[in-house]
Amino acid sequence: MAFATFLPRFIPMALLSRLVIPERVKKGLDYIPISILSAIVFPILFFNEEGGAGIQPQYLLSAIPVFIFVWKVKSLWGSVILGMLIYWGLGSIL
Amino acid sequence: MDNHQFKAGAKAALPIVLGYLPVGMAFGILARKAGLTTFEVGLMSLLVYAGASQFIAIEMISKGISWFPIVIATFFINLRHLLMSSTLSLYFNRHSLRTLGLLSAQLTDESFAVAMSDTSKISNRPGYLFGLQVTSQVAWIAGSVGGAFFGGLINHKGYGLPFALPSLFICLLVIQIKTIHHFWVLILAGVSSLIFKWALPGNWYIILTAFLATGIGMVIEKKLIPSPSMPVLRSSSATEDGGEGEPARRTSSLEGGGGGEK
Repeated sequence: MAFATFLPRFIPMALLSRLVIPERVKKGLDYIPISILSAIVFPILFFNEEGGAGIQPQYLLSAIPVFIFVWKVKSLWGSVILGMLIYWGLGSIL
Repeated sequence: MDNHQFKAGAKAALPIVLGYLPVGMAFGILARKAGLTTFEVGLMSLLVYAGASQFIAIEMISKGISWFPIVIATFFINLRHLLMSSTLSLYFNRHSLRTLGLLSAQLTDESFAVAMSDTSKISNRPGYLFGLQVTSQVAWIAGSVGGAFFGGLINHKGYGLPFALPSLFICLLVIQIKTIHHFWVLILAGVSSLIFKWALPGNWYIILTAFLATGIGMVIEKKLIPSPSMPVLRSSSATEDGGEGEPARRTSSLEGGGGGEK
């Protein structure tokens, strides 16, 4: 398992760090983090834990204030704690 | 290695630590139920260090599936690291394979996202990335071993713990919105990830969404006039360099993760 996990992590860094990458490709690669993060976040909000589709109100409602908070205030620590508190609070209500 | 860099990286890892401790504990608890000893849990978190695949692996173990399908599953689940590694490689064009080997072995979604949130900090600074990743991994191992050791004492669904890591991801996601193009790619990626996840098994949706959204992002860049950075984000001015050296990017900085401007 360790080896299978290590290979896709290591090979690109080993090979690509030696190459000069054209400017257009670099710009394209700039979209990779946001795509991956979006692909991770959206299913958390819209899929339940067994993997079936379904809106997750507790996650979704907690996510919206966190989104706005990070947008305006930009504090990583604060938003994580804020999100946890809201989620916890909603757990009692929902 | 620069001690100052290491400490800065470790500090940036604190939000990740906040997420990894509870999730690690959840993993440790489940792994014990699947039959692993506390030592085996620690070893797995040390050697593999990949949350999603670790969770899936112990589920497969508890169902009695043999090692080969587990290894194949692990390989495919973690394939998205190929893309992340490619992105990170842009910032380390002057380092030995040994350094790269060490750095790449610790790559995770979360440390990648934090590293990319301010790329000026990682450009040719393995010390920073190392501090970030070591701190994160120690937290993960500590959480796993702690969870395995203490088992059922703590209610890991309470105290907002399940939302710690999602909160973190949302923050890191918002940081990536540098232009209006990024915002639309975000929406597109989000919607396609839902479709792909619904249609396909396992974690294929992540890598497919990344390819699709990145491809469309590149098309948008080519066809449209570049927009200025959205005014609500603080950004340092960007200059494009021709090729080698540190790629200059528009970066936005945070208070929580260290407020360095370039």
